[in-house]
Amino acid sequence: MDALLTKTEALVVPTKKKISGSEVLLRSLVAEKVTTLFGYPGGAIMPVYDALYGYADQLTHILVRHEQGAVHAAQGFARVSGRVGVALATSGPGATNLVTGLADALIDSTPIVCITGQVFAHLLGTDAFQEIDVVNTTLPVTKWNVQVTEAKDIAPAVAKAFYIARSGRPGPVLIDITKNAQNELIEEFEYKHCESIRTYKPSPVLQISQIEAAAKLINSAKKPYILAGQGNILSGATKELVEFSEKTGIPVACTLLGLGGFPTDHPNYVGFLGMHGNYGPNVLTNDCDVLIGIGMRFDDRVTGNVSKYARQAKVIHIDIDKAEINKIIKTEVAVLADAKEALQSLIKKCDANKHTEWIDKFRALNEIENEKIVRKEFNPSGELVMGEVIHLLSEMTKGEAVIVTDVGQHQMTTSRYYEYKKPRTNITSGGAGTMGFALPAAIGAKLAGPEKQVVAVIGDGGFQMTIQELGTVMQYKVPVKILVLNNNFLGMVRQWQQLFHEKRYSFTEMDNPDFVKLAESYRIKARKVEKREELQSAIREMLEAKSSYFLEVVVGKEDNVFPMVPAGASVSDIILEAPTSV
Amino acid sequence: MKQEFTLILYADNNFSVLNRIINILNRRRVRIKKMMAHENEDDFRRGGVVMLLFVTPDLMEKVKLQLEKLIEVENVTIQEGSAAYFEQSERIVDVD
Repeated sequence: MDALLTKTEALVVPTKKKISGSEVLLRSLVAEKVTTLFGYPGGAIMPVYDALYGYADQLTHILVRHEQGAVHAAQGFARVSGRVGVALATSGPGATNLVTGLADALIDSTPIVCITGQVFAHLLGTDAFQEIDVVNTTLPVTKWNVQVTEAKDIAPAVAKAFYIARSGRPGPVLIDITKNAQNELIEEFEYKHCESIRTYKPSPVLQISQIEAAAKLINSAKKPYILAGQGNILSGATKELVEFSEKTGIPVACTLLGLGGFPTDHPNYVGFLGMHGNYGPNVLTNDCDVLIGIGMRFDDRVTGNVSKYARQAKVIHIDIDKAEINKIIKTEVAVLADAKEALQSLIKKCDANKHTEWIDKFRALNEIENEKIVRKEFNPSGELVMGEVIHLLSEMTKGEAVIVTDVGQHQMTTSRYYEYKKPRTNITSGGAGTMGFALPAAIGAKLAGPEKQVVAVIGDGGFQMTIQELGTVMQYKVPVKILVLNNNFLGMVRQWQQLFHEKRYSFTEMDNPDFVKLAESYRIKARKVEKREELQSAIREMLEAKSSYFLEVVVGKEDNVFPMVPAGASVSDIILEAPTSV
Repeated sequence: MKQEFTLILYADNNFSVLNRIINILNRRRVRIKKMMAHENEDDFRRGGVVMLLFVTPDLMEKVKLQLEKLIEVENVTIQEGSAAYFEQSERIVDVD
């Protein structure tokens, strides 16, 4: 009887409800305002998927067809929304399939959090089924990663992960959670957002002395020149950049990831930088007297041969990441700061000016490019060419669609000819050059911006690297538009083989399937265009479609992308056509 | 011209921090001549590493900035030569 009484008393003592580590994870994600997850289940993440079943009203989970699709979709989601993208995967191969996307997100500064299941803690290091050392595998491709083996550590790890992913220079974070931690019951908790980490200082304090030194150089410059990178977009500084350029009269060129950060129809916009960039912006890098890099990292595709890059110029480098300063190019004045904050200060310190003659030099050189390349690309005879397709797409969407590109010739052509007007409309794999990026990234982009027209422009090679994600498009009825420019070649590699390897086309020609039938088998409306007179109506049909749409455009097999800075050459030695010997 | 540098680093101590540090050196092919790592006597959650490296001054400076980027790393100092290495490592051994 005594025992019974004691038991009854124990029952009425108010105790906190216990929840599993998996539920702790999901509640933490909800607290971080996550709405969409991209993932793929498996043994070691099953407790999380079980908990997810009860969270359908708060968290939308998109079942991709391969974990690489999940991480690229999370990237696309993050790049369009500016929020942290989230991907889920199981242990072992599920986790290693994330590696490419993590590397891509790290080099392209994309904030994502990947959550992987892991075997039970007592099995770690025993070569258990689907056990791979995920923390060490992903260590070089993440901004930070952590393994969690107890449920009580899950919420703090999530809070820290989201803070690290989105602060300072954004990047990917991975949390590896052992299965016992997912199952473990702990008392309900109050989620605490992470607002600082003792050893991590993501936001440098702007030094006014650096701004004054930069302003002094800018005010006395005769031929100043701005190179705008993605940092400009990430910091939300696009309005400030326009204001700064307009006040100082300085011309602006954009890097690959910087496209969209400055309107292409602005009178001070002089073009796209890099290996396949515009003629004027590349050549005049070696003519300017003050070079102002904003939120960019002097990638080798931008600089060409570093020893011949802007030797005459004094370089001002504005970046939030201290390790980028002087990494590639010796800097005269370093401004260690968020781009927006730096530009707001520079606008106040810099004199109003005009550099009309200097901008005219860009125009004159770009006119040579227009004459030799662009007009021919827009008005070709014979086979369809990539340039005319992108030009038409740009005109028909008024440069306002979200364009997701893969990697290769179509990517460079799109970057050259799509006239981006707004930030976060250019989604591409820049630093890593990940073929297969575009289709899953476009799914993420469309889910982040359902009201936006999202067009994935992909080559026939890259399309087949993540082609399985057509299944995701079908299942969730994602109304994304897929434009495949098909030359039946790995076109960029073939171009290099033609120009630098005596036309030895070593394993670059592709025997492709019937893409239209394939897309239709996924219940996606599809069309193939081979004739110029059908192109406009086909693009219109694609853009007007309310549901997903697949358009294959067959383009010339051996067309090249020019201009081109040959590997090892100076940016001012950019070529407008193939040497006569090839 | 490559030369000896002593690198002294303080960080939060967890299972992966040493790997993160070594990864940055390995990726840039920086030669580690000697190395000693320790957790703090009074707080195992913090620790440090002292290394004797053979590297050019330019790459040493770039590596320092990369190490400072690591989330767990609190402080990195560099000194030319090996004297600081032996001084630091003896101090660590004495404490132990």
